[in-house]
Amino acid sequence: MPPPQGDKPQKRYNPAQPTTESASATSSGRELLGLLTHEDLDRAHDRWRVAQARSPGHAALPLRTLRLFWLLVGPGVLVFLGENDAPSMLSYAATGARYGVGFFAPFFLLTFVMGFIVQEMTLRLGAVTHRGHAELIFDRFGRFWGLFSMGDLVLGNFLTLVAEFIGVRAGLSFFGVKPEVAVGSALFLVLAMITTGRYWTWERITMGLAICNCVFIPAALLTHPDWAELGRALATWKPFPHGDSGEIVLLILSTIGATVTPWMLFFQQSAVVDKGIQPRDIPAGRADTLVGAAIAAIVAIVALLATAPLFRHGISAADFQAAQFAQALEPWIGHAGAALFALGILEAGLVAIVTISTSSAYAFGEVFGTAHSLNRPFREGWRFYVILFGSACAAAGLVLIPHAPLEFIILVVNVIAVLAMPPALAFLLMLANDAELMGEYGNTFWQNVAGVTVTVMLIIAGMGFGIVTIFPRILAR
Amino acid sequence: MSAKQNEGPSNPFSPHEAARSTKPNLRDPQVVLALLEADQVVAAKQASRFGRKKLSLKMRVILWGLRIYLVIMLVIVAISVMRALHGDH
Repeated sequence: MPPPQGDKPQKRYNPAQPTTESASATSSGRELLGLLTHEDLDRAHDRWRVAQARSPGHAALPLRTLRLFWLLVGPGVLVFLGENDAPSMLSYAATGARYGVGFFAPFFLLTFVMGFIVQEMTLRLGAVTHRGHAELIFDRFGRFWGLFSMGDLVLGNFLTLVAEFIGVRAGLSFFGVKPEVAVGSALFLVLAMITTGRYWTWERITMGLAICNCVFIPAALLTHPDWAELGRALATWKPFPHGDSGEIVLLILSTIGATVTPWMLFFQQSAVVDKGIQPRDIPAGRADTLVGAAIAAIVAIVALLATAPLFRHGISAADFQAAQFAQALEPWIGHAGAALFALGILEAGLVAIVTISTSSAYAFGEVFGTAHSLNRPFREGWRFYVILFGSACAAAGLVLIPHAPLEFIILVVNVIAVLAMPPALAFLLMLANDAELMGEYGNTFWQNVAGVTVTVMLIIAGMGFGIVTIFPRILAR
Repeated sequence: MSAKQNEGPSNPFSPHEAARSTKPNLRDPQVVLALLEADQVVAAKQASRFGRKKLSLKMRVILWGLRIYLVIMLVIVAISVMRALHGDH
């Protein structure tokens, strides 16, 4: 096991050189022959399928393109549907119930554009360096800044995991399931998925579960949405929400926190590495990220539409939790529609538990130099799996403690995610501009403009929240 | 960085050749190495690390500024939550 990275140069290691050369063509290829791991073999098998799909004569071009996309899709879709998690869906639902579609429908789209801009950078970083985000931060900026970054990730991930279990518990409570059974079932699912010992299998099962995020679509259709109103809102960003300015700023912040968060950076980069994505796969990876962002944006907007009837009928949803939204919607969308809504919250929580706990485990493995791949059998990567399952167990345990401050966690989870993003984006931008790491795949001028704009917008949103909190009457008329 | 893609048919262990087989023989380490990039092999990654990058004064100021921003904002979040939980608006 390599020693932890310190601030002093690690003389034991040779400097890494990013390359797109096949390993067999390099001078070190001969030395590596006897050192291959199970992880390498599984990854090589996945790469063989990709190489075969690219091979001319394998099939007609449209079929090959489709097959190639099927093989390379995954991290982008998972990260965005994972981020359409229980607190995010509740935030969208609360926004729809409180302010209707108006300003927030186009604002949701903007946040997903922001999400795509930053996630695309993690895709390139992972594909070119074959290293996870945490590993690169520790290697390039040292232990001091690395620990800050890990601290933000660990705190954010733990609070978010707790919020996901609250979502699972609330979603299943609509069907009369006891909290202990709900939380235990979610843990069993996490355990079952990591026993596959194969990244590809884990990814496909998680994607299958994640696509169920779309159950919000039929739930919204049952409310007979006013499509013209949605069209007007998307075109004009109006009507602008009126009322408690502090609450509006908090919802804006929660909406951003529902789309761009630190765990997403760490997860997608590590998943790209674990999947074995190479630089020539970057266009397909971009398509994967774009598809993920598009599906997640559509689901976010339909969640807004689903709860808009509460806004139109003047029903206060200020203190609603997941199951209460479903119950409140029952008069307009029937029991089946309400059940779909509750199932949506349950699914959102489950997918996020799987992806967020995996992002924590990846980061720990990268920092401590232990095996960190879903392609590892348990005996080789047991530390990775223990962190993965242990972090989920710790969050689940907190949810079951009587009088635990769960309301506090639900209130702060998305806000903390937004506030922790600017420092995380600073590291991301520095890495994506690092010529030694990225070579020709580094950020272009416009990618930097977009990345810096997102960072500045997040800082302004955070400062707006701070000003309204300290001076609550500043925006009062 | 080299952008060379070693897929020429003359190399018996190229990805091109490996992809031609109906089923890859992963027991042959040469096939595995042909399918992976040089720094994608676990042992190669463990043996080499990216070195430390020297941060300019400007970058250190930005990082410290963002760190201080985060601490201040977390204090404000705590104030906000206390108010919300105690119904003090």
